[in-house]
Amino acid sequence: MKKYLVLLPTVLFLLVFFLVPILSIIVESIYQPQKGWVAGKYLQFFTQRISRVAYTRSLLMSLLVTVVSLAIGYPSALAIVSLKSDSLKSFLMTLVVFPLMTNSVARTFSWLAVLGREGLINNLLISLKLTDSPRRLLYTPGAVFFGLLQLFLPLMIISLVSALENLPKEVPLAAKSLGANAFKLFTRVYIPLTVEGIVAGSTLVFTGCITAYVTPAVLGGSRVTMLSTLLYQKTSVTLDWGMATVIAVVMFATTLVVNYLSRKISSLGVSRQ
Amino acid sequence: MKINRWLIFALFIAFAILLGPFIVILFASFEPSSTLRFPPTGFTLSWFKKVISMPMFQKSFIFSLQLALYSSFLALLLGVPVAYITARYSFRGKRFVELVTTLPVIIPGMVAGLALLKFFVLLNVFSVKTTLLIGHTAIVLPYVVRSTLASLTNLPVSIEEAAQSLGAHPFKSFVLVVLPNIRVGIISAFIMTFITSFNNVPISLFLTGPGISTLPIVMMTYMEYYYNPSIAALSTLLIGATLGVVLLVQKIFGISKLL
Repeated sequence: MKKYLVLLPTVLFLLVFFLVPILSIIVESIYQPQKGWVAGKYLQFFTQRISRVAYTRSLLMSLLVTVVSLAIGYPSALAIVSLKSDSLKSFLMTLVVFPLMTNSVARTFSWLAVLGREGLINNLLISLKLTDSPRRLLYTPGAVFFGLLQLFLPLMIISLVSALENLPKEVPLAAKSLGANAFKLFTRVYIPLTVEGIVAGSTLVFTGCITAYVTPAVLGGSRVTMLSTLLYQKTSVTLDWGMATVIAVVMFATTLVVNYLSRKISSLGVSRQ
Repeated sequence: MKINRWLIFALFIAFAILLGPFIVILFASFEPSSTLRFPPTGFTLSWFKKVISMPMFQKSFIFSLQLALYSSFLALLLGVPVAYITARYSFRGKRFVELVTTLPVIIPGMVAGLALLKFFVLLNVFSVKTTLLIGHTAIVLPYVVRSTLASLTNLPVSIEEAAQSLGAHPFKSFVLVVLPNIRVGIISAFIMTFITSFNNVPISLFLTGPGISTLPIVMMTYMEYYYNPSIAALSTLLIGATLGVVLLVQKIFGISKLL
């Protein structure tokens, strides 16, 4: 019995210092002792244009980044897995992990030198005579998209590489010897057998995009307000704490729903096999 | 399987997106004029000199290092025993302990940051510094538990049983037998937690006070007012340091230890 006592400090630390504050702000956003049930701020969130636009933009952006990172990540993961040399494989995985470990402000700032007025893309466009004057590429949804793609592509590739490594080498060989072409091999063999990795990677990317702050703040600014930047605005500029809490709860709830749905999809995929 | 040309093309695109901006920012930080430009019009190291001599960056850099160090140590202290007990024993409430120690990963950082600000700082329960330490420790704890658990499952229980049957007290066998055998897991957990805390924005964003701010937050504030290559130079330094750490980890432990 005594040995279980060492669990106590950790559990208490997380409960008291982390969970209680979070639960309390969630409860406070729904129920207040003086006023009773309050839903006004939630109503405001879903009716006001600015918050509705930010939420829809966040959802669509997350979906787009997830789809594109899957489209780039899947063939990349296949390429990495099919390499013969283990040391090359491990070196490439290190390069995939590297952006994930890099400070998000430094990583995002790099895009300013790519997309800025005198950045790589604008100078390239001008020297190719495709445009006369620099285009505004920063503070656009496109800039946020590329920033998020760089940030979350590693998570997708890592999930897919581990799923593909668990796939026995004989399975695709067997399919091919039975006459499957590349398309059939991909849709009937690879995708069904790596569905868990696909779902796990997509969930990480999607929820990551919904909650990311630095990328939309630096590359989108106030022109491309998203859920996370709106949340910070409410606490720093307008000091609307009630609305800030509602946005935080909506953000959290969205990630929980996505996690729940992906678990459902994943278990469906498994039971079908 | 023969590697298809299209797969290599996709891999090339992936690495262009992942690493391309880092190469661009490296060159942009040598730009002599005070605009962010690529390709640069000359070569100077003056932005590097400027940025490492600026008190605001020096102060916040040291603060971030301290915070990362303290929160990582605290997380190891709190996390390693939990990993050990849950790996070796089954008991009532085990699922609950596992849930509680993974929750900080599920809860979005900004939600936690806002909650800590409202609950502790605004109500004057704790200072900004203490709240930062609490928040950072909580978010890195799950990494410690996961990494230590992974090492423990690879360690045969029979080694401990041998030590204990030879008369070692369970605590003694933990310190003398288990800990040395899972040191790789603990060291890689420390590296991971240190980097995670040092880079954290979503929690630190809400927890700033007079003279107290972490380096990433100071960088973000500075960027709002100045658009010159000094942040490019600082970013280059941080990116370079990260690359060094990641390559070192790969060489010593293998990169899978960090995931």
